[in-house]
Amino acid sequence: MKKYKQPSTIGRFGEFGGMYVSETLMPLLLNLDKYYKKIQKDKKFKKELNDLFKNYVGRPSSLHYAKNLSKYINGPKVYFKRDELNHTGAHKINNCLGQILLAKKMGKTRIIAETGAGQHGVATATVCALFGLPCYIYMGSKDIERQKPNVFRMKLLGATIIPVKSGSKSLKDAMNEALRDWIKNVRDTFYIIGSTAGPHPYPKMVRDFQSVIGKEAREQILKVEKKLPDYLIACVGGGSNAMGLFYPFLNDKNVKIIGVEAAGKGAKTEETAATMTSGTPGILHGSYSYVLQDNDGQIKEAHSISAGLDYPGVGPEHSYLKDIKRVKYFGITDKEALEAFQTCSRLEGIIPALEPSHALAYLIKAFKNKHKNKVVILNLCGRGDKDLFTAARAIGIDADE
Amino acid sequence: MNNLDTLPKKKILSLFMTCGFPTLNHSKKIFNEMLSHQPDIIEFGLPFSDPMADGPIIQEANKLALRSKLSTQQSLNLIKELNKSKNNTSFVIMCYLNTVRKFGLNKFIKNIKSIVDGIIIVDLPFEEEDAIKKSLSKNNIHLIKLISPMTDKKRSQKLLKNSKGFIYYISATGITGSNKLDYKEINKNVKSIKKMSSVPVLVGFGIKSKKDVIDISKKTNADGVIIGSALIQKYFNLKKDFNKYLKSLKKFIQEVKIKK
Repeated sequence: MKKYKQPSTIGRFGEFGGMYVSETLMPLLLNLDKYYKKIQKDKKFKKELNDLFKNYVGRPSSLHYAKNLSKYINGPKVYFKRDELNHTGAHKINNCLGQILLAKKMGKTRIIAETGAGQHGVATATVCALFGLPCYIYMGSKDIERQKPNVFRMKLLGATIIPVKSGSKSLKDAMNEALRDWIKNVRDTFYIIGSTAGPHPYPKMVRDFQSVIGKEAREQILKVEKKLPDYLIACVGGGSNAMGLFYPFLNDKNVKIIGVEAAGKGAKTEETAATMTSGTPGILHGSYSYVLQDNDGQIKEAHSISAGLDYPGVGPEHSYLKDIKRVKYFGITDKEALEAFQTCSRLEGIIPALEPSHALAYLIKAFKNKHKNKVVILNLCGRGDKDLFTAARAIGIDADE
Repeated sequence: MNNLDTLPKKKILSLFMTCGFPTLNHSKKIFNEMLSHQPDIIEFGLPFSDPMADGPIIQEANKLALRSKLSTQQSLNLIKELNKSKNNTSFVIMCYLNTVRKFGLNKFIKNIKSIVDGIIIVDLPFEEEDAIKKSLSKNNIHLIKLISPMTDKKRSQKLLKNSKGFIYYISATGITGSNKLDYKEINKNVKSIKKMSSVPVLVGFGIKSKKDVIDISKKTNADGVIIGSALIQKYFNLKKDFNKYLKSLKKFIQEVKIKK
């Protein structure tokens, strides 16, 4: 097998990716790309980031053998890569630290970001507090409603939240508004994109910063199991936690890799976020990738109970990995995710976020009574505290009692 | 024959309007009204669900147009059905790449050939344009270039090589409909563009009134202006009363059409 080497210098993963933005943004992206290349060779930058990973985030995150869940599934040995233990409760902080260090190097003085579930917003607000930079978070008004705890956390951290009321009032629209802000304030502003989506160099940059997850997991599993895992499983919205876990394993051809999308009320219904199962290639937010769209190329609204997966696009590298068949993608419905959310809580004493609950649901469904003697690593990329009210409502428990 | 090749030397007026806004039937009336004033250029915006380079007013226009499920074919038919032959007005389409891609480039060109003189694909950067530019130029349609204040000299030189039709200079580092015009900066940048290219330079983004149009012509070296958001804004100011809107549009176009 040829060694995996993506993207190309112009940000192409096969035919996917690229930089489809207006001329107001092009010079900025090219400049960002230039700086990013520079810091990749910068030892001081790497050391600074590693120190923060260790002492601020609490890395490496542990690799936990989920004994009870494994017994319940009666199949493979399941390990959780516990990025939900990170400071701020999800994998998002890995990328935010990388990008804010870069912003500092570039002399930018104002930070903007988009957020869906609020995890990326919280992580951005956190690093802005740490580095003393003003922080503006674009968030769909629908998401503000369903992610109240995170909204409060961001405010507490000193961020300004800008509600987005256009379109579907969720992640896609927040990203549109953040891009508009960036066009307007190109000179002083750094846009911290939270996923492996958007124009080049973001998909590459975010993947690289997140790949600490996979690097650690690789070392950890080799230590305990003396071999590489047979399967990797992660949820995919834009796809940053998944790329972070998958990337360091892409050349290991015996490691099977599975991405789990949010199918909402069903991948064949109109209320879905399963971009690669139900979508077609198109251009959204500056990159060419699978996207939910109609026959005229109008982007459809996505639906998922999980705000973090509620996005009608997906990172271009996932589209590429799907097309070359290196990664297989499956959809999990709201209902299935909610069940797994409860199962994991009861069996492992870990309340997962609704996003990785999709990955858990797929694992339980597809591996039940199968694949014995195999080893699986599942990326538990976020904790469920932020979802308690949404989940309680959906399950029918009164959270106020 | 491409009308853009015979644009006047000075005080060029380009009017932008979203197709299908506020509805398809109303839109036909609007474009007929615009055409009756014989502006030098009419820009037809094809509505897109995620117009990330547009400001709130054009976004709203896109939304209204799409509410009635306007298709790309309907927008193109609207353009085709206008009676352009009587005058020299150039027709230019402004759209996002996904619209063209999904419709199919060849089918798109077939539809607009010999009617549309130029096309602005907002999110198609120079780096990605080769194949599309080739197909367009075979059919005598000019791919119009955007230059922003962030585009440096080296990049401008690459972008402006062999440019045709006109150059769209984005006056503010902003999105369509922003409010500040910095004439000094505009003049400086337009001058530098004109050194690299011989086609007319039009200033767009943020031009709202007759005064702005005159100021651009007096205080800068630009060859003309593009007005978009200001034309659409009136509809909302008039509480969506279409008859009143059409009258005010007429008056406004008469105002901004300054003597050459």
